Amino acid sequence: MRRLALVLMALIGTALPAAAERLVSSVSTETVEITSSFDGERLTFFGAIAPDAGADQRFVEGPFHVVVVVLGPTQDRVARKKTNNFGVWLNTEQVEFKGFPSYFHVLSSAKLRDITDVNTLTTSYILPESHALSPNPAGWWQTLTFGQELIRLMSEQELFGVQEGGVRFLSESFYQAQLTLPSNAPPGPYIAQTYVFKNGEIIARKSDGFAVRKIGFERFLALSSTQSPFLYGLACVVLALFTGWLGGVLFRR
Amino acid sequence: MGRATLLRDLKILQIYLPIAELSVNLFFLVGIGGAVGFLSGLFGVGGGFLLTPLLIFSGVPTAVAVASVTGQVVAASTSGALSHYRRGGIDLHLAMYLVLSGILGAFGGVAAFDLLRDAGQLDLIIALGFLVLLGFVGVLMLQESVRALLKRRQGVVVRERLPNQHSWIHGLPLRVRFKKSRLYISVLPVLIIGLFIGFVGSLLGIGGGFIMVPALVYLLRVPGNVVIGTSLAQVVAMMAATTILHAVQSQSVDILLAFCLMVGGVAGAQFGAAAGRHLRGEQLRGLLALLVLAVAIRFGLSLVLTPNDVFSMAVGSVTR
Repeated sequence: MRRLALVLMALIGTALPAAAERLVSSVSTETVEITSSFDGERLTFFGAIAPDAGADQRFVEGPFHVVVVVLGPTQDRVARKKTNNFGVWLNTEQVEFKGFPSYFHVLSSAKLRDITDVNTLTTSYILPESHALSPNPAGWWQTLTFGQELIRLMSEQELFGVQEGGVRFLSESFYQAQLTLPSNAPPGPYIAQTYVFKNGEIIARKSDGFAVRKIGFERFLALSSTQSPFLYGLACVVLALFTGWLGGVLFRR
Repeated sequence: MGRATLLRDLKILQIYLPIAELSVNLFFLVGIGGAVGFLSGLFGVGGGFLLTPLLIFSGVPTAVAVASVTGQVVAASTSGALSHYRRGGIDLHLAMYLVLSGILGAFGGVAAFDLLRDAGQLDLIIALGFLVLLGFVGVLMLQESVRALLKRRQGVVVRERLPNQHSWIHGLPLRVRFKKSRLYISVLPVLIIGLFIGFVGSLLGIGGGFIMVPALVYLLRVPGNVVIGTSLAQVVAMMAATTILHAVQSQSVDILLAFCLMVGGVAGAQFGAAAGRHLRGEQLRGLLALLVLAVAIRFGLSLVLTPNDVFSMAVGSVTR
């Protein structure tokens, strides 16, 4: 009898989280298209926290907090520091960050520190600084300072950012977040990771993908510049010769 | 950064540059192309030495600025070269030697450009290059034009230096006869001038007309009626080759950026040439000298003054 009770308790114990909440989410645009007039684009992330499939609950109980992390394609970045050498400012120190996000924005429904502790924020890569903490041959101190400066520089270009309060709850369980991608957002695959927090714990998460792509003429130009650079250069020269010739003919000097 | 944000806030007619991967105001691009074109028409120079710095100072990545201006210089020099060709103002034989050695120099320049970019020292070398080159040429030009202006004021008849005075350069071996220039000189100085201008031009994104013309006049004693035409022909051919080299090697030629600058530049140059007819030669040279010096000083200050931000970033890996 006692054994049965234990088994039952264990079953309930494992079943309890499954009977909790799940996240239904989506992005307003699956492909952000870069055209010649591209000047950034506004994206909406939205979703609802619902009872998990198969659970007995009919409704979910909050309060919830939602954090949306938007990650761009990774690339290798170098942060450099100028120092004064005999009166001349030179780049003397540099630290390389491999696989660094080219775009990183965090949107949250409250102040991040109020949602959960720093440890959870760091291990889930929610804080921008967590990307600069990976081991680096430059040593931890250099990595820390240069990483922070790199994040600052990227924030100045609107490539990194934290918007506390960027997620709005329209009802108890339905949220919406808006993000404006800047015109310098690097093309490539993007991931929006959404975390649902309750009492400081992550109770549900989901990833949605979207792509930023050059299309049409811009795509053609960018592709040909890397795939057939010789023809691309030749086209450039022909264009220049033609423009110069045409100018001479039009103005007849 | 401040300027770049300001331009982004002017939401009218933004154009997305596919290689630079940023969006710039179209009026701004055509505008600086036109302004520099006006000056280049006025002074009879390519204008690369003004355009490259202007683009760098307004937020375009250095590598893209240098490589794209190379294409613009081709366009800016073409109409001039064609009209000189029709008038028979080009020594094709001499231009061929200059172009061949120039292309060789450009290979070196583009390779150096790539190495420096990866090492994070491209901006430094470009700033130093502009400082030394423009400073040197600017001071020389200013000296000469001030002297000419003073003499004119004193009522002395100014005589252009004649190209028939000989110097040690004419004593070198491997002599070749250049019929059109009426010269029988060694090819060595010709090749060295071509190499140097090819290297510097492709590294700094300038045509080098303002170095080529004095070099042809004072070092080789090329007669005045073929100097400008030959220099322009060499700039067109060499920069065309450099554009292709940059496109293949550093892949940072932005054809849209180059085209916007070309349109502005070609139109501006016509008005500049018209305005230039109202000014005297020494006055023009004096003004050009001041302009060249101003750019040199701007680069000098950027090396010496404490930068706004000692940190900078780039996409790419550290080369060891």
